[in-house]
Amino acid sequence: MALKSADNPVSNAPLKPEEQELALKREEQTALETELAERELRSANLHAELGAFERQYLHFVGLRYAELDELKAQISERLATEQPGNERARKAAQDARARANETKSVAGDEAEQAPRAFKASPEMKRLFREVAKRIHPDLTSDRDDRAKRQQLMAEANEAYGRGDETQLTKILTEYECSPEAVKGDGPGAELIRVIRRISQARSRLSEIDAEIQELQRSDLYQLRSRIDEAQVHGRDVLKEMIAKVEDQIGQAKRRLEGAEPSER
Amino acid sequence: MQTREKPGTELVPAGSQGLAVRSAALVVRGLRDLARDSNWLIKKVFTGRTPRLAISGGGQVCAISPPMRRSVQRVVLYDIELSVPTMALSVTNELPISSTDLPAAFSWSPTMHYLVAAWGAWHPALHIFDLQGKMFVGAFGEWRNFPAHLAWSDKGKYFAAASTGGKGSSLRLWETGRFAAPIAGAPANEMGAPSWIETQGYGEEFAEEGSFCGYGQTVFSPNEKLLASVVEIKGDWADDAIVVVDVPMLRKQNVFTAQGHITDLTWTPDGQKIVYCAAGQAYRLDALSPEFEPLPFGAERCACHPHLPLCLCFSSWLKNSAKGRLFLVDLNSMRVFDEYAAEGVVDLRWSVDGTKAYAVTQHGLAYIYEPPLL
Repeated sequence: MALKSADNPVSNAPLKPEEQELALKREEQTALETELAERELRSANLHAELGAFERQYLHFVGLRYAELDELKAQISERLATEQPGNERARKAAQDARARANETKSVAGDEAEQAPRAFKASPEMKRLFREVAKRIHPDLTSDRDDRAKRQQLMAEANEAYGRGDETQLTKILTEYECSPEAVKGDGPGAELIRVIRRISQARSRLSEIDAEIQELQRSDLYQLRSRIDEAQVHGRDVLKEMIAKVEDQIGQAKRRLEGAEPSER
Repeated sequence: MQTREKPGTELVPAGSQGLAVRSAALVVRGLRDLARDSNWLIKKVFTGRTPRLAISGGGQVCAISPPMRRSVQRVVLYDIELSVPTMALSVTNELPISSTDLPAAFSWSPTMHYLVAAWGAWHPALHIFDLQGKMFVGAFGEWRNFPAHLAWSDKGKYFAAASTGGKGSSLRLWETGRFAAPIAGAPANEMGAPSWIETQGYGEEFAEEGSFCGYGQTVFSPNEKLLASVVEIKGDWADDAIVVVDVPMLRKQNVFTAQGHITDLTWTPDGQKIVYCAAGQAYRLDALSPEFEPLPFGAERCACHPHLPLCLCFSSWLKNSAKGRLFLVDLNSMRVFDEYAAEGVVDLRWSVDGTKAYAVTQHGLAYIYEPPLL
């Protein structure tokens, strides 16, 4: 009959039922943490990519729409001036000016540098996964710790979107050294904590899926998908869009200078 | 950072970053521009066939829903751009109907706040709906002869109903905003069968042919001071007339006899002339003189731009072709441009700001004209 080790009488002792359950739940939690980190990374990537695409679109196409709308407003204002008694023409000029101002405010500043597309390095992705695993707010049951993690997670998302590797490392290190990282004792209490974390993680996974689906339904995503698909076939759709708006700008300029028929 | 409210009172930061929506309108614009290779966009707004519909200046269309198996017909509003029904209108004691033969007429108020409708399935009166409050406001203007043509004036100050069907047909005018409901009570003025119209004689065998049938398409001038209405004359070979009356008194200012039946008429943006279509040909008429000229194109429907010298037209046949077409005309140079093949168009309308135009066919196909520089 085997004897229990004298210096560690507990090590070979059969696990109590709650300890067995805890071990199983921890395995489940570890697997969920990995999945959650992966899904958060996917969501952060999508946000960052779409954000970068939006900035590119506004810079290359939006600014041109702003120029076109400005010219259209000038044309409408000239028509209204030419027909001082025409109430409809005056109203049309007002509307065109309001539209031009709106487009200009959305398209942003022309002086800004051309934005680049978002592309995360493998190291960035690894770091983000690590951050999501360690500090995800849905992996704690402590109220104060959760609030701190939420703030750090939001900072991590922003840093990832900016491609700021140093900031991601800093967030991770700071949290690891904080007192919130210290775990409590007791298998019963720990089991409850783990079960709650699993439940939170599952709920967050569903939320991420819904967020991703919502993003994929957005017009911005549709436009980017069409551009990406066309690129596979050697077409630069963004360039085509720019050319189209520039052609309209040309027409508007010619009309403003009186070289084009008045009706178009 | 975005926040979302959790059950209880606690506000916690959301798990995801919200993507900026400021660019949404410009992205949609880019997608639209990408999808089209001409100034026309085509949408299927409804299935089935309904020849009675009216387009609003905000891109909606009101129509009797086509009869479907096991469903009754309703007056339904559709959004043309989104191609979806947005509202079904009903009145008390509405009869379940499944027939395309009942007459119907609709007219949108200039702000699209109200809609006046008449339908053979309803009590014989005009029915007004508050589209923002999504409610039936009330009925007014009971009729014996169906008011097939309804019109609001440009600023919504007047409303006219023109009825057809022989003896008893009339042109009635209401001043709006005099009661709690936008239009109610008896008309401010009414014009019956005109005494000045001469019966166009065809011989005894044609009985009533050539006599007054009623009032047709009716349109207010842009400044709301005049009203032009088609005087319909019975018979395949009869000639309709256009009467121009002052508002609100309905005193005759001009009468003009056209060649053939008039299918549409529209005021030019300056309010000086009327473009009309008779027997498939387009004409331009001086509102207050007998001067007129045939225009160098055929058309059955026409709608002048609200402030530019442009007219959107539809012709059911193209020279040397059986195909119909929509097209634009520069009323200064008479140049035709931006033609697009189309058939069965029953209504045309420019948007209130004049940046777009809509045409809808009896089969629910909508053509949206949206050139970049309007």
